[in-house]
Amino acid sequence: MVILTGKISKGTLMDQIYVPKERPLGFELGTPVVIKPLAEEEEIKFVYYNIDRLESVKIIMMQKIFSELNFADNVIITGSFLENGFQFNDIDIILIDNKQIDAKKLERHLNRIFDLEFHIISLNYNALLKGLQTDPLYQAMLSRYVAKKKLIFRYKNKINYKILDLHLLKSRPLIENFDYLTGNQKYGMARNLISIFLFLDNKKISNEVIDYNIKKLLKEDLISLKQNVIINKNLFLKEYNSLYENLFKKILEGIKNGSQ
Amino acid sequence: MVHNRKKLIDLFIGNISNAILHRILEKAVEDEIIRNYYDKEFLNSLEIAKRYREKINPINNALKEASEIKDTVIKKVTNELKIRISKGYKNIDLGLVEFFTNQILNELKVN
Repeated sequence: MVILTGKISKGTLMDQIYVPKERPLGFELGTPVVIKPLAEEEEIKFVYYNIDRLESVKIIMMQKIFSELNFADNVIITGSFLENGFQFNDIDIILIDNKQIDAKKLERHLNRIFDLEFHIISLNYNALLKGLQTDPLYQAMLSRYVAKKKLIFRYKNKINYKILDLHLLKSRPLIENFDYLTGNQKYGMARNLISIFLFLDNKKISNEVIDYNIKKLLKEDLISLKQNVIINKNLFLKEYNSLYENLFKKILEGIKNGSQ
Repeated sequence: MVHNRKKLIDLFIGNISNAILHRILEKAVEDEIIRNYYDKEFLNSLEIAKRYREKINPINNALKEASEIKDTVIKKVTNELKIRISKGYKNIDLGLVEFFTNQILNELKVN
């Protein structure tokens, strides 16, 4: 919807608001309009966690996103949107509230406003805590974020092998589809694989630790991987396959031994 | 980039099998909390499969290999599930394999 703004000026018998002769459609003579005071929009303050810098256009976008989602108790933006540059595929948002929120409807709503893909997870604080305890990707996601309120959690890892089995599947396409995937897709799958490895080893999970271990365990430079110019493809695939198979065996053993 | 039809079909099969396996295991986890998240991962495998499908002619009509593809997918997914069942994985519904295979193959205009 097009909005025109103006100022009330003093007239002789009545005061008035002038609108330009060249107006957008919908403002023809005789059209009824609403006049209301334009209060200054309150600037939303964010909590930045582990973020050094962010492009100003992203901050402007976040202002709008947070204002659209302000009804939720907490709003957290995570994922590739917070990385340098504009290579993100979608914008990951976690909405925390005790009420049920229709995430798909909100995704469509934000998509209409920004013409970008959104992925929204809606949950309450207990569910988020459970996610952090059992899910390496939740830990990775929340190692870097912008939020409405700061998150304070104390938790210990709880290994659920069925969940880890599902996670591991996400890394599988790299093995068969290596030549077809983009650098970012390969990086995402390697990142997932390493986060499972760290989780099973009860190590701290953060983007920095994951990146360090990609280089250490998969013998590949991070920039080359993201740019899809892997220098030694055979070595990378050998290390990747070997780690994948070891983790799969470990997960199946965990299931066999009666853990969840 | 892959252009060989047989290779494309093999890759396509691998990805839809992964997507179906994911969907069935997701149901076996029975954890409401994570369901939202895994929807996205299921879609990832499916998105890769869709891109292969777009390279296999005829794009908008059934493939002559449809029956062979369906059989291979069912076999692959069932084998993967049986490995897990043999290790004590509970709540896996093998009956869902054919259901999801038909659903995805119809969606991707393979059948």
